[in-house]
Amino acid sequence: MIASIPDAIATAIRTVLHDTGRSAREVESSMLLATDLGLDSLDLAQTIVLLERSLGVDPFRAPSGARPAIRTVGDLISVYTEAVASTATKS
Amino acid sequence: MTTLDLSRVHAEASAPHRLAVALREIARRSPGETAIVAAAGGPDRRRIDYASLAAMVDGIEQAVTAARPVGIVVRARKIESLVAIAAACGAAGVPVALLADDARDLAGELRDWTVVDDSLAVPASGLSRPSGYDEGPPHVVVATSGTSGPPKLVQRTWDAVLAAARLAEQWHGLGWLLVYDATRWAGIQVWAQSLLTGGRLIVPALRDPDTVARAIVDEQAAILPATPTLLRRLLTSADRSLLSQAKLARITLGGEAADGPLLEQAKAAFPGARISHVYATTELGEVFRVTDGRPGFPAAWLGREMPGGIRLSARRDGELLVQLSRDSTDVATGDLVELRGDRYEFTGRRSDVIVVGGAKVLPRRVEDLLRSVPGIAEARVYGQPSAITGELVAAEIVLVDPLPAGATPESVRAAALAACREALEPHGVPRILDIVSRIKTTSTGKASRRPVATTP
Repeated sequence: MIASIPDAIATAIRTVLHDTGRSAREVESSMLLATDLGLDSLDLAQTIVLLERSLGVDPFRAPSGARPAIRTVGDLISVYTEAVASTATKS
Repeated sequence: MTTLDLSRVHAEASAPHRLAVALREIARRSPGETAIVAAAGGPDRRRIDYASLAAMVDGIEQAVTAARPVGIVVRARKIESLVAIAAACGAAGVPVALLADDARDLAGELRDWTVVDDSLAVPASGLSRPSGYDEGPPHVVVATSGTSGPPKLVQRTWDAVLAAARLAEQWHGLGWLLVYDATRWAGIQVWAQSLLTGGRLIVPALRDPDTVARAIVDEQAAILPATPTLLRRLLTSADRSLLSQAKLARITLGGEAADGPLLEQAKAAFPGARISHVYATTELGEVFRVTDGRPGFPAAWLGREMPGGIRLSARRDGELLVQLSRDSTDVATGDLVELRGDRYEFTGRRSDVIVVGGAKVLPRRVEDLLRSVPGIAEARVYGQPSAITGELVAAEIVLVDPLPAGATPESVRAAALAACREALEPHGVPRILDIVSRIKTTSTGKASRRPVATTP
């Protein structure tokens, strides 16, 4: 079963908040990762590892040139949507 | 068994011949004495006596002498075949390679060598010795463990293989448990010591804790050489009522540092056993042995000349340095030590250090902390690569069975994370914490420091 990308991202972020002793909350695509959700670089790194497990891709590992800034949940969703799509066309 | 004086054999036979000569000598005096119990603790248990083993060595030596191969790669599944081929090669003056399953790829480097399997047939070979492997005395080729890198072939002399064999009378005729891979350096030393001293080599059918415990009890093992990881698994997972019947006299730990709680647990479980901890490195061999049952080594040892002329010191960052003799230079061991009270304790390998966003984390410290959480039996900490922070601290835990009253896997996991947040800097807290049924170990029985493979 493949989780939808927005669901997978919301689940990963809630797991990070829960594991670090913060209360899990609703995650919306307009939310700013740092300001609204309080995610620091360690939190983001954990989110990316969790997403590699659930979605099977790590778009941040591949060396790529200019990457748009990841500021909101929505930015994450588009990066992963693109990465999952490009993996699907390759295989 | 009758008292055997093998000291003459050991004094007179040259190192490459010594194993074959000793096996023949023991076979002559006590032919029916058990040399090997294979598949111990399982339904297919086999017993091989010294007469049969010596006869195997004779047959293989004749075949090797007739075929004159460049070298022999042992590809035997049976422990008695492996031992007999190795002993025969030493006696025939032919180099021998003992390769574990995960090192089979390296056999390509030895493609001119002749492969001998459990059939013990030695195919004729018309090849001359290749360049690259110089002549010189017959040697033993083994693969390194690959704890922190890919395995590679290394060449050992028979002198080095047999150096560890303790020849004192009290070591003769004992039951030795082989939980290491028989093709690895640690395993080779166990079977060589057992057979050179007329002992019974006990090889468990499987490495699961219950089979190992059954082999210890059924075969009356006296000596258990193991890594702390293997001993911990035995103590936490094997059938308690079975373990309580064990009559171990010695437990020799090596390969990794042993922590205080593990030593206490081992003392409680095996009150009759003398527990020693060997500190050895690939380059230096055995450096020292701690027998007081406490972790690390006495602080007073640092900076003072020890028996054998060895001198220990520590770099500013805690890396242990060893000077083998007064006029040799310090050798960096890669092991980090820290002064705690009157002891220096091992905190980990320099190469195991996990770097999270530039900050260093010692995995052992996190493992010790996780293991102290009620409900956790075993823990392994490793660096998970991350494009954001370089690495992240990741951990696997094995829960005790049954769990403490009222605990659930989820509550133990939450308690573990809370304990880490309490005691560690933020970058040291595991960001990935998985509950697993067993800890992955390397072929040498150490906890692996590598991430779980995510790519095929």
